[in-house]
Amino acid sequence: MLTVVVRRLLLAVPNVILITVLLFFAVSGLLGSPAALMLGEDANRETIAELNASMGFDRPLIVQYLDWMGRALQGDFGRSYTTQERVADAILPRVLPTLELAFLAILVATLGATVLNSLAVGRRVVQPVIQILSVLGITMPNFMIGISLIFLFSVELGWLPSTGWSPWSDGVIAHFVHILMPVLTLSAFYFGSFSLVYRAEYEAVRRRLYVQVARAKGLSATGVSFKHVLPNSILPVITYIGISLGHLAGGAVVTESVFSVPGLGSLFVNAILGRDFPVMLAVSMFIIVGVVIANLLADLVYTLVNPQIRLD
Amino acid sequence: MRLEPRALLGWTIIAVAGAVAAAAPWIATHDPTQTGVMFLRGPSAVHLLGTDELGRDIFSRLVFGARTSLAIGFGASIVATVLGVPIGLMAGYVGGRLDLALVQLIDLFIALPSLVLALIITAMVGPSMQNLVLILGFVMWPTVARLVRGQALAVRTSVFVEAAVAVGGTSTWIIQRHIWPNIRRVVAAQFAITVAFAIFTSASLSFLGLGIPPPTPDWGGMVRGGFSYLALNPVMSLAPGAAVAASVLGFYLVGSSGEER
Repeated sequence: MLTVVVRRLLLAVPNVILITVLLFFAVSGLLGSPAALMLGEDANRETIAELNASMGFDRPLIVQYLDWMGRALQGDFGRSYTTQERVADAILPRVLPTLELAFLAILVATLGATVLNSLAVGRRVVQPVIQILSVLGITMPNFMIGISLIFLFSVELGWLPSTGWSPWSDGVIAHFVHILMPVLTLSAFYFGSFSLVYRAEYEAVRRRLYVQVARAKGLSATGVSFKHVLPNSILPVITYIGISLGHLAGGAVVTESVFSVPGLGSLFVNAILGRDFPVMLAVSMFIIVGVVIANLLADLVYTLVNPQIRLD
Repeated sequence: MRLEPRALLGWTIIAVAGAVAAAAPWIATHDPTQTGVMFLRGPSAVHLLGTDELGRDIFSRLVFGARTSLAIGFGASIVATVLGVPIGLMAGYVGGRLDLALVQLIDLFIALPSLVLALIITAMVGPSMQNLVLILGFVMWPTVARLVRGQALAVRTSVFVEAAVAVGGTSTWIIQRHIWPNIRRVVAAQFAITVAFAIFTSASLSFLGLGIPPPTPDWGGMVRGGFSYLALNPVMSLAPGAAVAASVLGFYLVGSSGEER
C-alpha cells in the first residue's frame, strides 16, 4: 500500500509542475507588464521600465518562474499590490473556512442523497419529488440557489442572517446559523449528482440474483436499498467526488461570493477584479494544486475501499 | 418518434427561449439599454417586471438577455465539440502511445476547475462575447473528448470494425462509415449538455463581475446588479436567475434524455 501511495504522489508531481508553469506563463504573459498596471495609464515609459527592473519583471519568464517557485516553496508569495499585505498572511486565515464549507457540503450531499433515495425507493410521491430535486440541484447555478435561499429565509421569513460569517469562537450556534445556507447552496449540485449515481447503482443491483432472493424472502424495497444498494453505491460516489472536485472549487468560488464567506474563493474573486497579480497567482495555484491532490486522495481512498482495484 | 416527458419539457423550454431570442425586438416593450427616472419600481402595466436601479425595463432586458445567453451557449458548445470530437476520435481509434498522451492531457484538464480557469483567462483577455465563447469552449472540450474517446474505443473493438479492417478498409472510411454513425447520437446529446453548462458557467462569470460588459443585457450580470436590491425589488435578480436556471434545465433535459437511448 505504501509503495502505491508513494508512486502515485511521485506521478502527481510532474502534473503539478506542469500546471504551475502553464498558469504562471499564462498569467504573466497575458497580463503584460505589472508595473504598467500598478502605475496606471499616465505613467511614462521610463518609470514603468524602472519599476519593472526593480521588481525583476524584466527578466526572462522562466527565471521569474523559478524565482517565484523557489520563494513559494519557502512560504513567500510576495506582497499584495492593493493592500501591501504579505500574500501568505492573506491566504492562510482563509483556507479553513473554504475547507470546512467544502467538507460539510460533500457530507450533507452524500448523506442526503443516499438516505433520501434509499427511503424514496418504490414510493409513489416521494420518489419523483426527489428526482426533480436532483435535476434542479444539478442545473441550478449556485448563485441562483444562494439568492433564492437568502430571499426566502432572510428577506421574507427573517430566520437566518443573509450573508457574513461567524467564527467558531463566537459560539457553535452562531457559526452554524451562518454556514447553513452556504453549505446547502454548495451541496445542491452534489446532492443531484450523487442521487443519479445512486439511482444507476440501484437499477444495477436490483436485478442481481441475491437481491431477488432477498426480496422473495420478504425484505422490503427500502430494506434492499439500505442493505444492498447503499454499500454498493459507495464506490461510484467516491469516484464521482474525485472527478467532480474541480466543479466543487468553482461552486465554492461563487457560493463564497454570494454569502461573503471569508474563504479562498472570495479572496480570489476580489484579487481578479482588483488585478492583484500576486494574490491571484498564489490563490489559483493553491486551488488547482489542492484539487489535484484531493483527486489523488480520492483515488487512494478508492483503492482502500475496493481491494480489487490496483493503481500500480 | 415518441418523446418522453423529460425530453418534451426540455425541448419546450429551448423552443420558448429560442423564439424569445429571435423575436426579442417585437416582444420587448422598451429599449433594454434606455435608462429612466423611475428606479427600482415593482411590476406594473407599463413595466411588466418593474425597473432596475437605472430605471431600465427589466422585462425588456430579460428578453434581450436570451440572445446573449443562447449565443454564448451555442458558440462555446460548437468550439468544445470541434476541438473535442477529433481529439477523442484520434485517441480512441488510433490508440497506443497517442492515446496514452491524449488521455493524460484530457485528464489533466478535467481535473482543473473549469470555472476557476475561465475566471483567470477572462480576467486576462477581457470579457467580450467572442472571448467568452472561445474561453468556455476551451475549458469544456476535455469532457467532450473523453466521452468520444470512450465511445470510439467501444465501437472500435466490435466485430464489424474488425471485419472492415480485414477487408482492407482505410481508417478514414471506417471512421466515417462505422464509428461516426454509432457515436453521433451521443455527441449530439453531449452537445446539448455542453450548451447547458456553457450557459451555467458564463452566467456564473457574469455574476462574479466578469461577464459581457454593460450595457448589453446579460442574465448573470442582471442577477449581480439586482442582488444588492434583493429586499427592495426581488424580481430584479430572481427573474434573470430563473431564466438562467430554466435554460440550463432545458438543454440538460434534452441532452441527458438523448444520452440514455
